[in-house]
Amino acid sequence: MNNKLIKLSSITKKLLVALFGTFLLVFLLFHMCANLFILADDGGDAYSSFCHFMGTNALVKVAEVVLLGTFLLHICLSVILWCQNRGNRPVRYQRPSRTKTAKGSKLAIITGSLLLVCLLFHFYDFYFVKLNVVKGGNYMVKTEDFVISDPSQEVSEEAQIIVMQAIQDQKISKDGRWLRQLSHADKEVLQECFPDAAFEPDFYNTAREKFSVWHIVLCYLVFFFVVGLHIRHGFESAFQSFGLNHYKYSRLIEVLGIVYTWVVCLGFAMVPLCVFFFK
Amino acid sequence: MNFTLHIWRQQNATDKGRFETYKVSDISPDCSFLEMLDILNESLINDNIAHPVCFDNDCREGICGMCGLYINGRPHGNDDGVTTCQLHMRKFDDGDEIWIEPWRAKAFPVIRDLVVDRSAFDKIIQAGGYISVTTGGVPDANAIPVPKRFSDMAMDAAECIGCGACVAACKNASAMLFVGAKVAHLAMLPQGQVEAHERVKKMVCRMDELGFGSCTNTFACEAECPKQIKRQNIARLNREWIKQLFAGNHKPSSHLSNH
Ligand code: HEM
Ligand code: SF4
Ligand code: FES
Repeated sequence: MNNKLIKLSSITKKLLVALFGTFLLVFLLFHMCANLFILADDGGDAYSSFCHFMGTNALVKVAEVVLLGTFLLHICLSVILWCQNRGNRPVRYQRPSRTKTAKGSKLAIITGSLLLVCLLFHFYDFYFVKLNVVKGGNYMVKTEDFVISDPSQEVSEEAQIIVMQAIQDQKISKDGRWLRQLSHADKEVLQECFPDAAFEPDFYNTAREKFSVWHIVLCYLVFFFVVGLHIRHGFESAFQSFGLNHYKYSRLIEVLGIVYTWVVCLGFAMVPLCVFFFK
Repeated sequence: MNFTLHIWRQQNATDKGRFETYKVSDISPDCSFLEMLDILNESLINDNIAHPVCFDNDCREGICGMCGLYINGRPHGNDDGVTTCQLHMRKFDDGDEIWIEPWRAKAFPVIRDLVVDRSAFDKIIQAGGYISVTTGGVPDANAIPVPKRFSDMAMDAAECIGCGACVAACKNASAMLFVGAKVAHLAMLPQGQVEAHERVKKMVCRMDELGFGSCTNTFACEAECPKQIKRQNIARLNREWIKQLFAGNHKPSSHLSNH
């Protein structure tokens, strides 16, 4: 952690926490909307092409790094502030405080830390699969990558069985462009025979697989609840930190914060719930 | 009315300190909290029981800001918008146990018993809470026009009496409400605007140096401020800080200044 970050004035630090936090709020809305594609009744075509775009576009790669940096800075700065604040009352009061205050603020460090823990589990389920750190989930590959141009190319029996089985199980997308729902083991076998084929994580089927297990669904609901607690406070708090508080609009900001929190949390919660009950 | 008092006693800054329990009886409901302590002290002296309890006070009419006590978990006790000297015993129930502690903050060290050193606030004011003009004759009231709304808001902010309850209440011991009130009150008046950028920079830096915390938008300060200074003043402080960050956006011509 760099010394300059610690030395910034307390208000600048808080401003940056709010700035990065706001960026995360925008990201969260975007992420939630994207997830809703999973619920489209098209066998996952729309969501898969979205994932393909996100997985291959160069600008998205840059945005991903920016997002990761934003997370780290938001966390670093808020933890620095929290540590510095803790030292400012070396002798504590003996009687518990009876001052009426906003609870969300006092809990922010706890809801934030819980959020981080949940996030790591979430990364384990999805993002780390993409980074190929975790070997699990489902994969997809373009069918055109299987055209054998060189007749002398050897295709092992195992690979043939996998492809045959996949066709039989209708793992080919409706438009015929994708072979999907391949397990990690299947992917390894196919990759050996078709080294040029570009395998991508099949998040649509990964999500369906994960969300068919009730305790994973429950964990995700808890996750969204924790997110909700954090952003319910964060939304309003960020406005105040930017100096945007006016007696005329503070109620409006509060209402917007509540609406935003419910929309994002319910939007996120819809996916595991609908997949569990209807897919 | 009768009360059991648990009062923080501490010989000096280095003493560890402890609670002592005293009983007071026959207190009038119209007695102020400080008068009740006076009665206790009188009996402590007359009956030769202990050294009287030290506490700060001056005006006893809610305008000087000297008299802060942390009473039953709340700065200035269980009433809204009053200082300790304006808190009356009728706000308590007969037979109540009352816990009295000094302000607790790194920047406000205890001097003795319930008295703390609040000179850190003075240091913040010295850093920039003023305007640098030599006072002359009284100017005409209409010489510098000020919009009514702004003079009202400046007046509301200027109500801060520097009591320190905001710091005492805040979980971070932050002085943002105090500094916000001082910065806002001058930033809203033409006389204060000349030095606005420098002022906010100096006062906030001094506030950080002195060991006050940062704001987490908990608003315990607003809930406990005897002058009901509003959180909008903290927002204004943040705004003034942002303005200051971007002020002076080009270098002044070098032939006049050697910076
Ligand atoms: C999607 C994830 C997240 C979003 C959308 C988010 C959003 C926000 C927002 C908007 C604020 C208000 C900023 C302000 O008042 O200045 C905030 C504050 C904060 N966040 Fe996050 N945050 C996220 C993740 C995290 C994580 C992982 C932590 C881990 C420790 C964390 C810790 C904090 C803390 C301690 C505060 C300060 C609260 C305060 O002092 O008022 N946040 N967050
Ligand atoms: S802002 Fe209120 S609580 Fe803080 S010092 Fe001023 S009068 Fe006291
Ligand atoms: S003694 Fe002056 S405000 Fe209480």
